[in-house]
Amino acid sequence: MLPSVLLFAFFIWVPLLKNVYFSFFDITNYSTIGDFVGFDNYRAIFQDPTFTRALWNTVQYILWSLLIGFTLPMILAVLLNEVVHFKGLFRTALNIPNFVPGIAATAIWVYFFRSEQNGVLNSILANFGLDQISWLYSPSWSAIPLIVLTLTWKGAGATMLIYLAQLQTIDNVYYEAARIEGATAFQRIRLVTMPAVFQNIKTLFILQVIAVFQVFYEPLMLTKQSIYSVSLLQILYKTAVQDMEVSKGAAMGVVVSLLLFVLTFLYLRGTRSKERGEE
Amino acid sequence: MKKILLMTALIFLSVTLFACGGSTSDVTTVTIGFWPPSNLTDDVQMYEDWERMFEADHPEYDIVGQPYTYSTDTFAALANTGNLPVVFETWFTEPEKLVSKGYVRDITSQLIELGWLDKMDDEMRAELTFDSKVYGIPRDGYGLGLFLNLEIFEMVGLMSDINNDGIVDIVDEEGNPLYPTTMDELYDTASYISQQMASVYGEEVAGLVILSANKNGGWQFSNLAWNFGESLQVYNETTFEWHANLNSSAAIRALQWIYDLKWQAEALPSTPSLTYSDWYFYIGNNMAAMAFVGSDAINLPVTNYDMNKDYIAYVPMPAGSDEEGNTYQKTLFGGTPYMFSARATDEQIMGALLFMEYIGRSPETSDISEQSMIRGQTVAESKGMTIVPTIKAWKSPEYLAMVEEIEARYVNVYMPNFQDFYDALLTTKNPEEPYYAQEMYEILDSVIQQVLTDENANPAALLNAANTTFETNYMSEVNK
Repeated sequence: MLPSVLLFAFFIWVPLLKNVYFSFFDITNYSTIGDFVGFDNYRAIFQDPTFTRALWNTVQYILWSLLIGFTLPMILAVLLNEVVHFKGLFRTALNIPNFVPGIAATAIWVYFFRSEQNGVLNSILANFGLDQISWLYSPSWSAIPLIVLTLTWKGAGATMLIYLAQLQTIDNVYYEAARIEGATAFQRIRLVTMPAVFQNIKTLFILQVIAVFQVFYEPLMLTKQSIYSVSLLQILYKTAVQDMEVSKGAAMGVVVSLLLFVLTFLYLRGTRSKERGEE
Repeated sequence: MKKILLMTALIFLSVTLFACGGSTSDVTTVTIGFWPPSNLTDDVQMYEDWERMFEADHPEYDIVGQPYTYSTDTFAALANTGNLPVVFETWFTEPEKLVSKGYVRDITSQLIELGWLDKMDDEMRAELTFDSKVYGIPRDGYGLGLFLNLEIFEMVGLMSDINNDGIVDIVDEEGNPLYPTTMDELYDTASYISQQMASVYGEEVAGLVILSANKNGGWQFSNLAWNFGESLQVYNETTFEWHANLNSSAAIRALQWIYDLKWQAEALPSTPSLTYSDWYFYIGNNMAAMAFVGSDAINLPVTNYDMNKDYIAYVPMPAGSDEEGNTYQKTLFGGTPYMFSARATDEQIMGALLFMEYIGRSPETSDISEQSMIRGQTVAESKGMTIVPTIKAWKSPEYLAMVEEIEARYVNVYMPNFQDFYDALLTTKNPEEPYYAQEMYEILDSVIQQVLTDENANPAALLNAANTTFETNYMSEVNK
């Protein structure tokens, strides 16, 4: 027990607390701690339009991921649960993108979304005599849902498997009873399936929000540092590592952690009251 | 369990103690960060030969190659963990940051001792001097110029091989430039090329590459604004204060020029978020005809995309004019400096500087230095690299005479297609804006991206907002 506690403290708690400490000081480099500056670093980052833009972009990433990426694995799991033949084949096929290394998977999408006429999607459009589209830089829509689409393509299969595993534990008797009672397909999903997978939904919801909040290499590869899709973690990395602004980077890290903490807290409180209501 | 823990602690302790040893007995270890990586076997062999010669002449030093390509992604980690080489290469945009963060050290006394201080190019020395202390030496310099892909110019009929020597010429029979020499001509040429390549060949080719990400957009934009007539930072002689000048009429006209190239002329790449590695991708793959490029990077489309070097021309930044019609032509000037780890000792600094003579990167004109320069050129030649005249780091007449004589023997490009750039540089070179240049470039990147993405963008409004941000967050600090 003690070694694991020590390791956990060394690799998690010490850096975390040190980061909070750094955010209140003027730090030249990691070994030279300057004056205590109070909330100056926090004020500075919120006055930086790039940071506020990245914060708004990240909120959009989360909203789009809940819209696109959260429901799709559930739908896929329900559909796959109904499949009688070739279930293994479909299960494997849907999960294959998850085996592709993240950078390589995103690199594939770079070629799909190229704005030039040699982009995969633009080549397809050209075959139908249609004009090319600046997919990731269109003034008419945001690149964020397209980036979320690539995240979903890669991750949906694995999430689906978790739902599917839970669905397969539901005793068929409940569905039979529901049918006898005259429940429609939608009612069976709402009254039998959803309660069974509710705990999974709750866990995966929080995990997804946390994961998407930390979206980094996908926008970095697809749109570099485009202001329309730059994420909070990209800005944090740029500030702390590339620009060597340790104090401001630390302040950004604290803000990200606090936001995640608040989101998790609100969600858990909401679902707890719901569970109590059900009891 | 206790034994394992004890063993681990002992191993850790011994490794730590071993790693701390910079020098043993009378031999000083000097780690060289610009050592070539192992895959460049010819270069490694050359450096090993230089190392042997140096150590034979200076047995008090042990030269150790530690290949490190400067990167903002890796630098802080190396520096903070004490793993930075004694000497490393960086960019001229970095010294201010590295000095202020305490990662590099002052080498003034060593330069005085060697008699090198007054031999350094004045502009480059100014870039490396902070509080009257010099923190590095220059490897060489660069000026920003206009890179021409002559294959595309020939395809659209703007240039041809006039004197039948197998190389496309950039001047006519009377010696008049066929390349764009003003911002208006550049606009028209870029527009014409894109239209012709689309209508005649059915290919999407950008007339000009404009960068807009990783601070490269702002970096290039500063030169455009200068050529439209104004600096991006101004000094008020009444209040003795520096101020941001991102929303000057010159800057607005420069941004409008980019906007028009994108939306009126349709002469820019479809992708609006481009970094420095993108220009040579576009040029090297015949997807663009022109790009603003540093003179030290001309080789990149050749080494990365096998571009035929005979299709390269490199010409001065086009001149622009202000609203009154006054003409301006400036060339952004910078280079590659060698800088020295803050943890390096005086002995290590001296060893690294003395080693410079053996690799032909010092102002010394000894036989050793001359032979090293010749060796460097022959290796570059054997690798098929594009060899162009360098912008010299040192200014002593004997050094310049020696280097120019050697370079004249090895330059392997058609110099008439390059000479105008070098001639113009002498009178037009201009250093980067003095304060928070990187932060300013980043803010300008965002402005350029918005102009390249949104057809309804208002250049004046965007630059007004950018000016307020830059003044409030950064320039106000300068005057404190």
